[in-house]
Amino acid sequence: MSDTSTPALRLENVSKSFDEFAAVSGLSLTVRPGRVYGLLGPNGAGKTTTIRMIVNIIAPDSGKIELFGRPMGEDLMDKIGYLPEERGLYKKMRVGDQLRYFARLKGMTTRAADAAADRWLSRLKLSEWKLKKTDELSKGMQQKVQFVATVMHDPDLLILDEVFSGLDPVNRELMIEVLQEIKDEGRTIIFSTHQMEQAERLCDDICLINKSRKILEGSLREVKQGFGRRAIALRAEGVDGVLDDAALVAGVKPYGDFQEVLLAEGADAQELLRRLVAKGARVSRFESVEPSLHDIFIRQVGEAE
Amino acid sequence: MNKLLVIIGREYSSRVKTKFFLISTILMPLFIAMTGVLPGLLFSMKTGGATRLAVYDETGKLYEPVRQSLTAGQGRDGRGGAKAGGVPMRGPAGADRDEQMREMGKALGARYEVEGVQADGRARAEILEALNNRVRKDEIDGYVVLPSDIFESNRAEYYSSNTGDFITSEQIESGVSRGVTEQRMRDANIDGERVRELSKRVEVEAQKVREGGVERDTGGSFGLAMGIGIFIYAALLLYGQVILQSVVEEKTTRISEVLFSSVNSFQLMLGKLIGVSLVGLTQIAIWGTFLGVFAAYGAAMLAASGVDFALPAVPVSFFIYAALFFVVGFLMYATIFVLVGAMVTSEKEAGQMAMPVIFMSVISVYLIFPVIRSPNSSFAFWISIAPFFSPVTMLVRIVTETPPFWQIALSLAVGVATTLGLTWVAARVYRTGMLMYGKSATIPEMLRWVRRA
Repeated sequence: MSDTSTPALRLENVSKSFDEFAAVSGLSLTVRPGRVYGLLGPNGAGKTTTIRMIVNIIAPDSGKIELFGRPMGEDLMDKIGYLPEERGLYKKMRVGDQLRYFARLKGMTTRAADAAADRWLSRLKLSEWKLKKTDELSKGMQQKVQFVATVMHDPDLLILDEVFSGLDPVNRELMIEVLQEIKDEGRTIIFSTHQMEQAERLCDDICLINKSRKILEGSLREVKQGFGRRAIALRAEGVDGVLDDAALVAGVKPYGDFQEVLLAEGADAQELLRRLVAKGARVSRFESVEPSLHDIFIRQVGEAE
Repeated sequence: MNKLLVIIGREYSSRVKTKFFLISTILMPLFIAMTGVLPGLLFSMKTGGATRLAVYDETGKLYEPVRQSLTAGQGRDGRGGAKAGGVPMRGPAGADRDEQMREMGKALGARYEVEGVQADGRARAEILEALNNRVRKDEIDGYVVLPSDIFESNRAEYYSSNTGDFITSEQIESGVSRGVTEQRMRDANIDGERVRELSKRVEVEAQKVREGGVERDTGGSFGLAMGIGIFIYAALLLYGQVILQSVVEEKTTRISEVLFSSVNSFQLMLGKLIGVSLVGLTQIAIWGTFLGVFAAYGAAMLAASGVDFALPAVPVSFFIYAALFFVVGFLMYATIFVLVGAMVTSEKEAGQMAMPVIFMSVISVYLIFPVIRSPNSSFAFWISIAPFFSPVTMLVRIVTETPPFWQIALSLAVGVATTLGLTWVAARVYRTGMLMYGKSATIPEMLRWVRRA
């Protein structure tokens, strides 16, 4: 399953437009097996269209989509588990019947489907709701039921669109735990969101798209390092004047009890520290920080505006 | 293929298990029986005792004949009021209009207590005032005035607190007419009995010529044609709505997106069509059995009570045709409802968009009448070939006057072709439409989806 040589998913120069509107233009990306891959972007960037093409709901106008080295087609649909952003469950159907139906549509036998439903419902602490109708469940519970429907056929590729929406903090942690287990089994997860904090916490690799095009792609580490922005978390007293030097400091953002100091192009952090000490400032925190995904997102997407 | 069966299974069992199915399965035959029988029953029910009628006869010789003609038959067969349930059927042979009225009166359970009014030297106005008072005090229900010039003027008067009861008015009118006619004959020395005998009505008995021979038709064909037409129409409408609703549900709750990632849209649509159709067929099979038993029982009852009524002999081939046309018609309309469901975004809009479709099926019911009257006209021919009307109209033709086989085959072929074409269009609209949220699609948009898909 986790043959590292063939990518779990590969998109090559994929485009899709609706009438005059280009939803996805020339998108190429590679998802390595066993990784958590974040498909990030603002609303309307083309995430949902991309996902719908991956799961074979709509066909691309041009380009190639390969799943585990084979061109995407109907025969591969059972290998994917897809949790759409907009949830869909039959309101008047019992949770258990509903899960059985979805699993059987993924090619499971009734017996296997029932066993998997029991296992997953208990894992997500929903066992006692099995005989209830969907419309008796809270939104968060429905969300978990939908998640069970997505994973119960043990898909090799899991595509989760905004998986945490509607979950309280306790269930959010439970979900993260479950996702970690799935990852440890060697399955691949594509995680689509516009909430950067979640992506930062879960993703190994990310791809940022905006206005139908890919802006950047790579491992979270590479992206952060490659992002040419160095910042210092600084807490100090008596820094007057030092931070105003444009040759050294590009900008200052206040954060609670510290400031984030963006270094100017070519400036050295050591030089800043030396100048502060020379000025007689009392430094209680001086820490080189990576830009957060949030910052990268804002900067990249904001620049495009 | 396996997935298709799973879809059909869910569409079927999730509906058959509902209360709606159970209730509609039981209530529909009851409803049909009620709308068919109840109005006639209620209408013919005259509660209370006999109608108390006073007759003021100024001619001095009409009271007796009128009384006789109004009360004739009462008690003679002793079942005047007892047969209240009998809807006026075509009476036995030889009924002229008056006799028919009398028959009907018997069937309706109308009885009269007639008394004569003596003038006793009082003035006309005085007598009428006294009678009015008696009506007001509810001593009598009404009175009839037979004026002295009735033989020339042909006019009498009927006074009652309830002139809205037109059945009673009619009966009195015919009773008085009959009395006057008889008196006239007597005055002219004509034997009334003999005249009645000589002017007996001739009954024309409808005989239907079939391939295999000749059979009597007592009006059953018409009823059967009508019944089947309306039955199909009701089923199309009911199950069309069920399909429409289920498509709209999957669209508005966004289930379709999950489903589309497991099966292709065509399988999904087909599964829905077949699943819901099977629900419809199950229910109709149940109704059909009910109806068959009901009809056979009803005919037996009528026969036992002396009414001349025979169930039209229906050849087995008819049932095969009925099943074929029903399935084709059902799928045809169901596909349109799928199409509509995929285009709209809410149940409300779905209702509006479905109106033209419903309108079309209503027209096909109205078309039954001209087709029954002249089942071999070129109008009937074309209308029974035209796809959206043929399921009803062709069946009506088959019942009334079976057209040549090639016409039936052509009609069926056109229906099947239309259904396949619609399925092709619907599949394309379905795939795109089910993923479009926010606003309903327009017809040009829909056509674009069809071209592009």
